[in-house]
Amino acid sequence: MNVEERIRVEPDGSVTVFSGKIEFGQGIRTAFAQLVANELDVPIESVRVVLGDTARVPFDFGTFGSHSVEQEAPALRRAAAFARRTLITRAAARLGIPASRLDTRDGTIGDGDDRRVGYGDLVRETPLQGAVPEDEPLLPRERWRHIGTPRSRVEALDIVTGRARYVADVRIAGLARGAIARPPMRGARATRVDDRTALGMPGVIAVVHDGEVVGVVADREEQARAAADALDIDWESPRRDEPPTQVVPLREDDGVDEVLASAALTRSATYTLPSIANGSIGPSAAVVDVRSDGTTVYAATHRPFGLRDAVAGRLGLPPESVRVSPQMSSGTYGRSSAPDVSVEAAVLSKHARRPVLVQWSRAEEFAYSPSRPEAVLEVTAGLAADGRIVAWRYDEHTNVHTAAGPDPRVAALTSGRNAVPPYTIAHASVVLHVEPTPLRTANFRSLAAAENVFAIESFVDELAHASHQDPLAFRLRHVADARLRRVMERVAEVSGYGTTLGERRGRGFACTLYHGTYVAQVAEVALSPSGDVRVLRVWCVVDPGLVVNPDGVRNQVEGGIQQSASWTLLEELRHKEGRVATTSWDTYPIATFRDAPESIAVLVEGDASAPSTGVGEPGAVPTSAAIANAVFAACGARVRDVPLTRERVRKAAQPVAS
Amino acid sequence: MRLVLSINGSKREVDPPPSASLLGVLRDDLGLCGTRFGCGSGQCGACYVIADGRAVASCLMPARQAVDREITTIEGLAHDGALHPVQEAFVAEDAMQCGYCTSGMIISAAALLGRDGAPDEATIRDALAGNLCRCGVYGRAIRAVLRAAQVRGGRGEAPAITR
Repeated sequence: MNVEERIRVEPDGSVTVFSGKIEFGQGIRTAFAQLVANELDVPIESVRVVLGDTARVPFDFGTFGSHSVEQEAPALRRAAAFARRTLITRAAARLGIPASRLDTRDGTIGDGDDRRVGYGDLVRETPLQGAVPEDEPLLPRERWRHIGTPRSRVEALDIVTGRARYVADVRIAGLARGAIARPPMRGARATRVDDRTALGMPGVIAVVHDGEVVGVVADREEQARAAADALDIDWESPRRDEPPTQVVPLREDDGVDEVLASAALTRSATYTLPSIANGSIGPSAAVVDVRSDGTTVYAATHRPFGLRDAVAGRLGLPPESVRVSPQMSSGTYGRSSAPDVSVEAAVLSKHARRPVLVQWSRAEEFAYSPSRPEAVLEVTAGLAADGRIVAWRYDEHTNVHTAAGPDPRVAALTSGRNAVPPYTIAHASVVLHVEPTPLRTANFRSLAAAENVFAIESFVDELAHASHQDPLAFRLRHVADARLRRVMERVAEVSGYGTTLGERRGRGFACTLYHGTYVAQVAEVALSPSGDVRVLRVWCVVDPGLVVNPDGVRNQVEGGIQQSASWTLLEELRHKEGRVATTSWDTYPIATFRDAPESIAVLVEGDASAPSTGVGEPGAVPTSAAIANAVFAACGARVRDVPLTRERVRKAAQPVAS
Repeated sequence: MRLVLSINGSKREVDPPPSASLLGVLRDDLGLCGTRFGCGSGQCGACYVIADGRAVASCLMPARQAVDREITTIEGLAHDGALHPVQEAFVAEDAMQCGYCTSGMIISAAALLGRDGAPDEATIRDALAGNLCRCGVYGRAIRAVLRAAQVRGGRGEAPAITR
């Protein structure tokens, strides 16, 4: 790594930071600014972070898996430390003072107060360059001024004043609007497009039929949509080439069946979760400007370099002639891993010879964007006479979780994420079955982890009750990892877990270890007499290693819990033969201000001696199980199917004849 | 269709197609893109503006119906460089993640404080129930509105939403 790939100290003393990661609201721009300000010893206000611009940032594979801070923090800190050390060397020569006597303060270098030189003065003739050593020493902890300090988002002022520019707010000269004619069923191709009516409509610039893209470019969006609706199109139904089910063993110990057969107690259960929508509040959008001297893509994307290659490939252009310039984005939770809307805008721009903005409608977003797959999770466990789990059989049936499609090489990490429980179990079999689906499924926050952890943490709760053990104590018997034990015990402590509550109230526990981040939660619910579940309070203790921005971590984890509570109680993407039926917020309700818990208390207790790990996803992972376990505690209803509707709660609460 | 609209205290003349919504005129004719498109059917609150003191979905309001109303958008809440107390409070509480829904939330909160100086939490939840947030900052936003109301009470002044 060369310093100039990551950090540029400008002649005015400001600092520009380059990263291939993307900001969707996770707060990484703020965290990166803090990391660099810390090591470079500059005010955070002087740091500007450039994210994902393929013309300016080093290659990055993508923003997913809550890896941004984990992957970028070491590189950015080393680059900044190297920059600081280089500047001190230059200052020594400039001031005629030995480097050992010089120190940095707020972007200046000197020996005491009298003779100080600004960073900008030291780069005016020669910009910072050079290879950053792997073992570049970092600033000692007593000098830290930004890492570990709570910060509001650096974009906050732009956001609250409306100045923030999102993808659909890009306004460049000559900008036209595009609308896509959608087929009656996904994957159908147009065999004939009659554009006679559309071409005569107001504002229409071009009607485009190029491969899978059929659309209209017009001066205004309403004109483009009206003309797209007026196209007379013959569609050819897609051929259904169902891929075979992939069976991927994730853990296969010998003797599972034998141990199950001889266990003192065995239990089996099946858990189901429906497909759910990413549900970005801002529907997908892109502005693409295809020109003879180069193509610019203004987009939201998890993979700027992947998007560059996808657009270049679709247009038959060399990748280096395409620049992806990521804009601020509505939270997309994985949805922008697919290049679809940018490819559409690119094809329209190429034919119309104008920059084109395409923004999907709300109905298009629900019907045509990828959703989280369904999951059916079958689990059987055996307990020995001492009450410990000795055998575990787990089959996860789901669909592909990534926009790239099924790939057996990564299935364990994607569709099988967190299928292997964090518990010490002597004999376990965990098998992933990735099945075909008529739905378009792809990346969504935490991939399969939220589904798997719902099943595992619900089932462990069931095993505890079946064997008359306290659910927390039962779990702890199977946890060796000290950091996991600590968050579990801490959340029990701060929540007063085990306190007796009133009628139809209960608390449930769940935990996870997700990509190196430890999370334990307690949810408290109240049930109405008719079975409606209300989440009153959630407590969470999270250990993401060294914490860069404690309030940023809290915000992410709170949001994850809130979003997951919405999945758990409300959300289900209904579909028939691959066509999504729930295409509005009316038919696909999510949690509102009225549903928000009274409090979500997140304690950020990172192990500062451990590397930073991510927080964008882990907070959302255990919440469904914590809520389901709380429902059981409140009324004895074990609901194994998400969402936890009142009908399901009532049905599960009915006493079953033994 | 020539229209004269009163936006953020200024008269603005526009000439959109007859079918244009107020949202379309704000974003495409006036460049006021801080009001966001979310659903086009008044179900998400991303496009809220204040019309004669009330928060309304600008996606549902035909532009011609905005004539004769005082419209305040998110760009018009700050006065002379000073943020509206709700804007200040949203920064102070970091009540945002992606920020896409924030304009609409702040508009709803500013309209609420314009008619109720000391709303309780239930009132705030009701007033903002039309503003969907997928990132899940509801708790922080409630705290921010409570904080803005307190600040306002402390100063003994009502945050102006029209001028």
